[in-house]
Amino acid sequence: MDKDILIEYLPLYKDALFLTLKIGWQGILLAFVIGLVGSAIFHFKVPVLKTIVGVYIELFRNTPLLVQLFFIYFALPKVGIQITAELCGVLGLGLLGGAYMIETFRSGLEAIPVIQTESALSLGMNDLQTLWHVILPQAISISVPGLLANVIFLLKETSVFSTISLMDLMFTAKDLIGMYAKTIECLFLLVVFYLIMLLPVSIIGAIVERRLRYGQFGD
Amino acid sequence: MKNNLVKKLTAATLATGLLAASLTGCGSSAATSEVAGTEEKTVEASSNAGYRTLDEIKESGTINIGVFSDKSPFGYVDENGEYAGYDVYFAERIGKDLGVDINYVSTEAANRIEYLQTGKVDIILANFTVTEERAQEVDFALPYMNVALGVVSPESAVVESLDDIGADDEIIVISGTTAETYLTKNYPDIKLQKYDAYAEAKTAFENGNGVAWANDNTEVIAFSLENEGYTVGIPSLGDQDTIAPAVTKGNETLLKWLNDEIETIGAENFFHADYEATLLDTYGAEYEDTLVLEGGK
Amino acid sequence: MDSLGIDVLFKGTNFLRLLQGLWVSIEISLISVALSIVLGLLIGILMTVDNKPLKAILKVYLETVRIMPQMVLLFIVYFGTTRVFGWDMSAESSAIFVFTFWGTAEMGDLVRGSIKSVPKIQFESAFALGMDKIQTYLYIILPQTIRRLIPLSINLITRMIKTTSLVMMIGIVEVLKVGQQIIEANRKVSPNAAFGVFAVVFLLYFIVCWPISRLATYLEKRWA
Repeated sequence: MDKDILIEYLPLYKDALFLTLKIGWQGILLAFVIGLVGSAIFHFKVPVLKTIVGVYIELFRNTPLLVQLFFIYFALPKVGIQITAELCGVLGLGLLGGAYMIETFRSGLEAIPVIQTESALSLGMNDLQTLWHVILPQAISISVPGLLANVIFLLKETSVFSTISLMDLMFTAKDLIGMYAKTIECLFLLVVFYLIMLLPVSIIGAIVERRLRYGQFGD
Repeated sequence: MKNNLVKKLTAATLATGLLAASLTGCGSSAATSEVAGTEEKTVEASSNAGYRTLDEIKESGTINIGVFSDKSPFGYVDENGEYAGYDVYFAERIGKDLGVDINYVSTEAANRIEYLQTGKVDIILANFTVTEERAQEVDFALPYMNVALGVVSPESAVVESLDDIGADDEIIVISGTTAETYLTKNYPDIKLQKYDAYAEAKTAFENGNGVAWANDNTEVIAFSLENEGYTVGIPSLGDQDTIAPAVTKGNETLLKWLNDEIETIGAENFFHADYEATLLDTYGAEYEDTLVLEGGK
Repeated sequence: MDSLGIDVLFKGTNFLRLLQGLWVSIEISLISVALSIVLGLLIGILMTVDNKPLKAILKVYLETVRIMPQMVLLFIVYFGTTRVFGWDMSAESSAIFVFTFWGTAEMGDLVRGSIKSVPKIQFESAFALGMDKIQTYLYIILPQTIRRLIPLSINLITRMIKTTSLVMMIGIVEVLKVGQQIIEANRKVSPNAAFGVFAVVFLLYFIVCWPISRLATYLEKRWA
């Protein structure tokens, strides 16, 4: 491996990391919001919307992100819907992630005993207040390990952004290999940068899981 | 419980270490050969990748040829699933004269060097422009087509000079092409929007994702002729280059055979026939003499 | 506006080719899942063995799979191994290798989890009855875990099929690449083909994955 090449390429990978993180966190935020709204719709069994959300979940959980992105980025402009590559990345990641987040929040919500809802309602809270002040805080903390697993999954999925011209880590590696054929150096940096990005999340996941177990079992 | 975290950390560190070790392991072997050889990186490139000699190919009865599968009219797949185009027409002749079957391998621009260096194909016949950088990594045979760079843009906003490109405008290029290398080197301030595949880049260009598309001029001229509403504002950019077949570095038997072949079929004006069979519909007769190179000259 | 390009799919053998491309994806997934189940059982049992170095190695393995995107692994195996070890792996075998590498880790972890959930007393009873370790696993422990594993491995199949969309990147001509080829060959006559073709590819994936994941959910609920 050639040290000079590593040093020469380093800034390019750094930029790519920032782009990946930028799109990644926006997408994950969108997924989080979709997850909350979607699970609330299931929670309150809102007619019609419930069916729509159900169809959405099935559609996005059963197709690859790559195909979703191709459809949004290359096909939709043919019917007049034009969006930039970055927005497409955020949207694709958010829609895919949302479908998973809804399920995660939903199982969190289902884990809260019905009696809590009933008590809150009998205290005079309305449906939304009950959800917001009583159920959701507990449901989210139950869902945290699942959420972090989703975050890792979504950050990994960003590797397909390269296909819609976003200069993420994967793209930078492929591009440099294509131009200068320094395969080993490029792949090495690629691995290192994914570790830099995902190891902290994975470690935080371990810490949080441990904390939560304390909380639950007083261990 | 605390153990869990410690374990995770150790595991992760080990994982990094292992991956690093496996990668450096190779690096060091390449480094030794570098000391023995010259300072050039060429040694590393050809060191551990295998290639098949002419006899081995003949013996196996099949030759692996890397072509584009989405670059009409040079290399594409028609509606019956058959490979076709200018490059493919030549590939068919190679297969016939060698007396072997052809296994076409679909390639992207950025993979071409990689495919040769890892021995995954015997020949690349994918509109491969001869450049100095590439010649350090692979061996080029005699050329069979002329090429320069060109830039195509919508008729409504023709780009006639690269100096006109605004700070926020993006030019579409394909990853691993000479257009990308040229613009990166000579116009570092221009923003590039890069795609892996021809089909993706063209669709994105049609969709209006970039102000222009820079590529081989053969390709952008073909695009403007085939699709309404586009003009080649910059028909020739950079050096006049040539396109040639490429083999893995050091594969002399195959290289020599290819060179002989190109000279032999040049005598019968093979590439003119190729042009007339595959490119005439797109370009008309006027480009025949500027594009075609016969017998390597 | 012109047609949305569905018509190009009915030209020549286009639609058939698209289905053949889909089959390439399914084939790779099925082979990988079959290998993953067998290797996963083995790795899962190894994970329950109390041996520090072994545990550390397996932990590294699991963590690598958890953190590295499959696309990165595909690139490393397809391009990296030839350079480092001189192996010449075809794109298909690289894909199967990577998918099995990934699937085995997931299956292994699931197997470990379900073995751990079998009460310890069952091991002890089996040993007390004079069974050896292999017999205990074969006749007592594994049959109990397998029923729980079936829905999960069916789920893994759909995830693999979805991930096969990445193999296009290492030159395998699967459904998405066939789609691009069709768009390219018809750009002149049908400039909007991108819409029809990508919509159909999207639906094809859905038609394949949806019933499989429904089946997994159904079995999970039934056998839970």
